Amino acid sequence: MEEDMIQNEIYWPLVAYAGIVLLVIGAIVVLSYLLGERHDDKATGEVFESGILPTGSARLQFSSHFYLIAMFFVIFDLETAFIVAWAIGYEEAGWPGFIGALIFVGILLVVLVYEWSTGALDYGPQGQKIIKALQKRRKQQKI
Amino acid sequence: MSSEDFRSLLPLLILAAASILLLVVIAVRRDHRLVYYLTVAALAAALAASLIPVEYSPRTASPLLVIDGFSLFYSALLNAAGLIVVVLSYTYLRPLREQMEEYYVLILLAVLGSVILAASRHFASFFLGLELLSVSLYTLVGYMVRSRDRSMEAGLKYLILAAAAAAFLLFGMALVFYEAGQLGFSGIGKYLAEAEALSLLIITGFGLIIIGIGFKLALAPFHMWAADVYEGAPAPVSALVATVSKGGVVAVLLRFYSEVDGYQFPVLALLFSIFAAASMLGGNLLALLQDNVKRILGYSSIAHLGYLIVAFLSGGAMAAGAATFYLVAYFITILVAFGVVAHLSSGEQEAEKLEDYRSLFWRRPGTAVVFTAALLSLAGIPLTAGFIGKFYIAAAGAQEGLWVLLFILAASSVIGLYYYLRIIMAMFASAKDPAQRIAPLFSGVGLLLVILTVALVWLGVFPQAMLDMINEWVAG
Repeated sequence: MEEDMIQNEIYWPLVAYAGIVLLVIGAIVVLSYLLGERHDDKATGEVFESGILPTGSARLQFSSHFYLIAMFFVIFDLETAFIVAWAIGYEEAGWPGFIGALIFVGILLVVLVYEWSTGALDYGPQGQKIIKALQKRRKQQKI
Repeated sequence: MSSEDFRSLLPLLILAAASILLLVVIAVRRDHRLVYYLTVAALAAALAASLIPVEYSPRTASPLLVIDGFSLFYSALLNAAGLIVVVLSYTYLRPLREQMEEYYVLILLAVLGSVILAASRHFASFFLGLELLSVSLYTLVGYMVRSRDRSMEAGLKYLILAAAAAAFLLFGMALVFYEAGQLGFSGIGKYLAEAEALSLLIITGFGLIIIGIGFKLALAPFHMWAADVYEGAPAPVSALVATVSKGGVVAVLLRFYSEVDGYQFPVLALLFSIFAAASMLGGNLLALLQDNVKRILGYSSIAHLGYLIVAFLSGGAMAAGAATFYLVAYFITILVAFGVVAHLSSGEQEAEKLEDYRSLFWRRPGTAVVFTAALLSLAGIPLTAGFIGKFYIAAAGAQEGLWVLLFILAASSVIGLYYYLRIIMAMFASAKDPAQRIAPLFSGVGLLLVILTVALVWLGVFPQAMLDMINEWVAG
């Protein structure tokens, strides 16, 4: 059987591709091992910024709202694509297709209600919340 | 679709409808207890719907799903495991300040994905079920972001590695489809039966699919995530990953392999033998030096899936039966083990260090005895379900002459004994302060653990009833 496999000459691109994958990954691992940093002094891990000592951390917290909206867009966009695919085949799909699409849209509706009620759709800065948080922080600072 | 189709699909429909209903309930009113009761009711209904013998004759509800004894048995098993995980979760989650309600929706979806896997006969439903399961688990593993440090790490690790494994699986399916022109398991089987020699593409495709499955089962070369995820996830979710996630994948693997008659290919058998041997040795050896009980259970689950693959590899008449029995025994055992971990955990601190279990027997004798039974069953000591499971694996393997694998199984079981006994020794170590003894708290979870332990011993002493049931439903 092995001979058959080797004789399958048309597959050489696949074999070559697999070989290249192994080669590249091997090279990455070996090179980073060879070229990687070995000494570990006091200042090795510090950020180098033109000789000035860095202040603070680079780990900032970003608002995740934008990601959430991007996710909603992708989800609802994709679901529109499914509905359009059903609409094109409306005649052929018949009643079973209609019921299926009805269930699908119903699930979408439930999800929308859920997202609305959990506040996932409230985006942008909300004045009242910000003022409340500020007041809370002021109080904490006074204490 | 006829009404029989609907009736046979009832377990799936109940789970799907319940998760939608729960979303509505959450939207109207957040109530942890209400959501919990609804989840328990849904899982119990799905369990009942899979146990009531609807149609024994295989009913292909669509090109994607087949409902037969095999899938109904696995559906019942997975729903029961999900039910136990939910009951464990309720008391575990109560003291935490998180939004709990979505947790139950995710568990329902994970169980649904797993049941779909058990019923699938097509690459499309295979992948859909797997993704439904995985996406729920990503979130569940990282659910305790606010109260636990390692939760995020575990969730992220699981997300990245499982996504990579899904890519392998999809590419494998694409290659098989390119060559066979079929996505249904039986269609691929027919193509393979007619083909004279296996082409390189089919072999590569199967190899990639096996990598995807191996990741989900945490077999040895793809096991890196297991310990970290088990450690970082909340204890009931670790139980879910160990049972529901693996059970569904084992079911689809058994069905796929028997439909395409994978046993005729020595290359694949060699591949699985290597995975099994590496999992048994690797899992048991890596667990030796751990001080974290959840990590030990994680590594031990790697080893146990290795044992299961030996049963699967034997391929004879006993293969499916032995693998399924082992899975049942493993489900009960690991649920007890993680149940004890969840039971002992307080809101802030997971009871995961070996130190937390030191002289547990003198503080909470009941819990310690239950945990000891679970650990002995994991080690495969007679009178427990684990022993009978291992015995049937050995019988199935011996029938097919898999002597090397059986030798490794026996040797690695002996190695495994060491770290199980280490926990037991710690639990029975004499207490420095005997006054610390806490009165046994009789709670719902305690009762559940006792019932599971009784089942564990009962399966170990009288396995015949379960074996008959498996023979009738799964193998028949």
